[in-house]
Amino acid sequence: MATQIKLPEVAAGATHAVISSWQVAVGDQVVVGQQLAEIETDKAVVELLAETAGTILELIGKPGDEMEVGSTIAMVGEAGETAAAPEPVTPVAEAPAPPAEAPVASPVASPVASPVSEPVATPAEPVQVSGRQRVSPIARKLAKDAGVDVSQIIGTGPSGRVVRRDVEASVANGTAAAQPAAPAAASPVAAPQAAVPVSTSASKELASQEYSSTYSTVPHTSMRKAIARRLTESKSTVPHFYLNADCKVDELLALRKKINESSQVKISVNDMVVRAVAAAFEDLPEANVVWGPDAMIKYESVDISIAVSTDGGLLTPVLRGVEKRSLSNIARTITDLAERSRAGKLRQEELNGGSFAVTNLGMYGTSSFSAILNPPQSGILAVGAAGPKAVVVDGEISIATIMSVTLSADHRAVDGALAAQWLAAFKARIENPLTMLI
Amino acid sequence: MTERIQLDPLEPWVEIKTTKQDYQNADPKLLETMLGQLHLIRAFEEAILDIAGEGLVHGPAHSSIGQEGGAVGSIVGMRPTDAINGSHRGHHQFLAKAIAYVAPQLDVTNLVTSQVQEVLQKTAAEILGLAQGYCKGRGGSMHLQWHEAGALGTNAIVGGGVPLGAGNAWSQKRAGTTDMTTSYFGDGAVNIGSVLESMNLTAAWDVPLVFFIENNLYAVSTTVAEATKEDRLSGRGLGFGIPSWRVDGMDPLAVWHVMQEVEEHVRSGKGPAVVEAEVYRFFHQNGAFPGSAFGYRSKEEEEHWRSRDPLDKIANEMIELGLITQEQVANTRKQAVAAMELVALELLEPDLDGKPGARKIKANLWPDAGFVDVGLRSDLSELAGAKTLEQDSYTGETTDIRFVDAIAKGMDRQMELDERIIILGEDVHRLKGGTNGATKGLQDKYDDRVLGTPISENAFAGLGGGMAMDGRFRPVVEFMYPDFLWVAADQVFNQIGKARHMFGGQNPVPLVLRTKVAMGSGYGSQHLMDPAGIFATAPGWRVVAASNPFDYIGLMNAALKMEDPVLMIEHVDLYTQRGLIPADDLDYQIEFGKARVVREGKDTTILSYLNMVNITKEALDQTGLDGELIDLRWLDRASIDWDTIGESIKKTNSVVIVEQGVQGTSYGGWLSDEIQRRFFDHLDQPVQRVHGREASPSISKVLERASIAGLEEVVAGLNLVKEGFGKN
Repeated sequence: MATQIKLPEVAAGATHAVISSWQVAVGDQVVVGQQLAEIETDKAVVELLAETAGTILELIGKPGDEMEVGSTIAMVGEAGETAAAPEPVTPVAEAPAPPAEAPVASPVASPVASPVSEPVATPAEPVQVSGRQRVSPIARKLAKDAGVDVSQIIGTGPSGRVVRRDVEASVANGTAAAQPAAPAAASPVAAPQAAVPVSTSASKELASQEYSSTYSTVPHTSMRKAIARRLTESKSTVPHFYLNADCKVDELLALRKKINESSQVKISVNDMVVRAVAAAFEDLPEANVVWGPDAMIKYESVDISIAVSTDGGLLTPVLRGVEKRSLSNIARTITDLAERSRAGKLRQEELNGGSFAVTNLGMYGTSSFSAILNPPQSGILAVGAAGPKAVVVDGEISIATIMSVTLSADHRAVDGALAAQWLAAFKARIENPLTMLI
Repeated sequence: MTERIQLDPLEPWVEIKTTKQDYQNADPKLLETMLGQLHLIRAFEEAILDIAGEGLVHGPAHSSIGQEGGAVGSIVGMRPTDAINGSHRGHHQFLAKAIAYVAPQLDVTNLVTSQVQEVLQKTAAEILGLAQGYCKGRGGSMHLQWHEAGALGTNAIVGGGVPLGAGNAWSQKRAGTTDMTTSYFGDGAVNIGSVLESMNLTAAWDVPLVFFIENNLYAVSTTVAEATKEDRLSGRGLGFGIPSWRVDGMDPLAVWHVMQEVEEHVRSGKGPAVVEAEVYRFFHQNGAFPGSAFGYRSKEEEEHWRSRDPLDKIANEMIELGLITQEQVANTRKQAVAAMELVALELLEPDLDGKPGARKIKANLWPDAGFVDVGLRSDLSELAGAKTLEQDSYTGETTDIRFVDAIAKGMDRQMELDERIIILGEDVHRLKGGTNGATKGLQDKYDDRVLGTPISENAFAGLGGGMAMDGRFRPVVEFMYPDFLWVAADQVFNQIGKARHMFGGQNPVPLVLRTKVAMGSGYGSQHLMDPAGIFATAPGWRVVAASNPFDYIGLMNAALKMEDPVLMIEHVDLYTQRGLIPADDLDYQIEFGKARVVREGKDTTILSYLNMVNITKEALDQTGLDGELIDLRWLDRASIDWDTIGESIKKTNSVVIVEQGVQGTSYGGWLSDEIQRRFFDHLDQPVQRVHGREASPSISKVLERASIAGLEEVVAGLNLVKEGFGKN
């Protein structure tokens, strides 16, 4: 009996997703855990992994197709079995299907029209259906030498075999050590990449140039490619504009010091920034919006993505309902999210959603920077380092601790005045930190 | 009315019998020596049967009891430099030759000299498979060789030793001696191709070989009359123009007389002779029971033949002539039996765990198990100090030459330097250098060193093998097409390939076998194989193949120097290709066991040879794969360049073996096996292969192309390797 592979709900509430590529072909043997496809939503690019071992009987969705969540995109079964027509309705027992969307078979899925026509596996390939992970001898050895858990590496060789290049890529990116399969597909985030000129055309130019000095090439991981693609798309299709503000943070630092003297949870400046962002949205709820194709989406709660740098790349776990959280709760939750990001233990839903992001490079001494929006969010706040600066107060030059922040906003959703009001509200909160505690 | 003309054979066919007169005229010392040999052999065979009966002979012990007269009568008069070989039933011939070598004349009052005792012990030890045997225990009952004594080696393949004997005889004559070789075989072998082919070949070339048929009337249990219409087996010689004799083998003096006539003919350079000696083995094919016990002959028949025992025949004639007493005959027997008791004491000891009186082989006499493969091939000391060149580093003057002309040119130069080199094969002396021109000009220059053979691969391959084992000449044998190896398979694999090891690993077999792969020429299913896989998996052979003229000359020069059988594989497609060779140095070798990295690369290791090297180069250009292409050149297990292969695999972690021919007998099979065992931990994907299909290539151009690997298949193979890299 063939099993249907359905398009998963990649992001909470997502109704559609795009199959960006298939990693298997009709006739391939797949094992549990083997990557079948790369699925992209506006939130994230995820690897779709096999939950059933068997032979790929049919691939219904084509790369580039946008398909409904829950629709059948492939059929897996025994070699030689015919792909039965996908069942018309998802059984009620299957909860995840969004109730609003009747998961009727996708119009694309027409098994009669696309018969299993490709020749099944080459004769040299032993037909074997099992959950065993295939790893080439040299790949196993290299992984062992590098201290990498080979079971965490997705094989891209024939029959899903983990081959040398898979291990090399994973070692180079640290993904195998840090990332179990699902979170590896996490949505990449913008901020720290902002300064890096990543673009496809540029890459091609670089690749074609002759260098006199020696260099080595590191093949792109799918995560790296996704970051590149999404940031290129964001920077080139979303009309960004930027607003700067210098925030005087002496009071904030003093308050933090005071809190930390008595609190069991250590509060960071960033925690207070996140709290201030939530407070600013409370002051200006009309700014908590995201541009949608047909309508503006207004958020009730303040869900903020926090950029976390990991060995494998950037992850942006979402801190939800920040406006209702205490500072210590924020601190604890961010610490937890960051730790689990680095350990590869985030759940998929923790990466979904968010209307705003905070990115902070202050710890590296960066004084100020502008970040690229993480689509479809409408704002991202780039936080620089706090340091003593000469300021003029009442015509007198004095020294204050200044933290520069830059708000990047999507002009489609937020106009300049609204953004400026929001930034003023943020500044007011930061400079009067006691208001955040109320 | 048709006219009838009576035709006669070219040569006479006679039967010789002795009379009382002949015994009276016989040299008493000759009779005494024959009596002594007969008794030594009889006692030896009885002792072996006893030991075999105790289960101490591993494998068969083919007794010659009853048949001693033919061997003794024919060998007693031979020179030490004459040679013999024999078949699976050869103890008696071997002993006669060995005893005659150490004691040309025997004194029956002091029969067993220490040298004779040593011969008996070493022979028995060999039959028991012990280290002190003539062949270090490897040969056993059926492979007895003592080169020094002119015992070339007995043979377990019926008729298999005859072509080798022909080669030895050819060398004797070519070396300017009047020595001769006698090849012994039974009535069963007389209908075997290699015997008949050898009769034809030796007659055509006047080779001094005596075909000695021991007709014991039974091939195991099948009678001669059942097996052939003309059961007077010496009649075979007449069809080939060979004078033939028939004689009673139970009368050793009659055999001696026949051999006097035979020697006169053979030693004078007139060619071979056929002798049929009618004999009788008193026992079954194997073991100590008479044939009647197995029901294929009667006790009466056996009784009749026993009454004609050659030992009694000689003894009785001598007693009648007053040359010996009954008591002295008994004493002769006693000495022989005692000698064998001594042999048994030396080799056996009481088995205290067995039944009372049981014996076992002394444990310290077995060969060391580590000796198992020793001496399979030469140690290559013959190549020490050889001058080697590589085209990639050669900076001297070069000449542009067609591949096939380079073959002839290189061979011309080596024939000029080394008079031992002899070329033989079909049409090699005509057609301006054989069918392809590879021996062009050589016959004009070297005349009788370039021998056009009859179409009988088994005979001329074996003749080459016999020349090689003799060692005075260096045969270069050509098979017009590789598939003919099956025709000559016994000589190529059972004899030439195995001889050195089987006889103890001491006597080299330096022979070069040339053949050309002809895939693409339309010659069809029986002409288009690539022999590399078959030879590379056959023990004893070395295999080389060149993809360009420079390497060909260097590889051939090495092959001609090596003390091993070497197969040189050529390809028709390469013959017309051109390449550069040194302008004024044709004496270099390609370094032994050195592959050539044709193109360096990091993606994958491609192992290929012959014409597929250039095709693979083109395929790499097409696919853009950064492959490391290695031209193996030395293909066999013992010569292949594991260092270069290993270094490359450790770099690329993947291998593809590219060859043109069919899957079943392909070369890459054993190689991929060996690679996965040696380099498993370095592999990133299965060892990939490019080869032809299952069936042998057909005549039809379309089907032939479909069955072999070409550029498209190599490209597909490289793409398969690429897929194995994964998607990262």
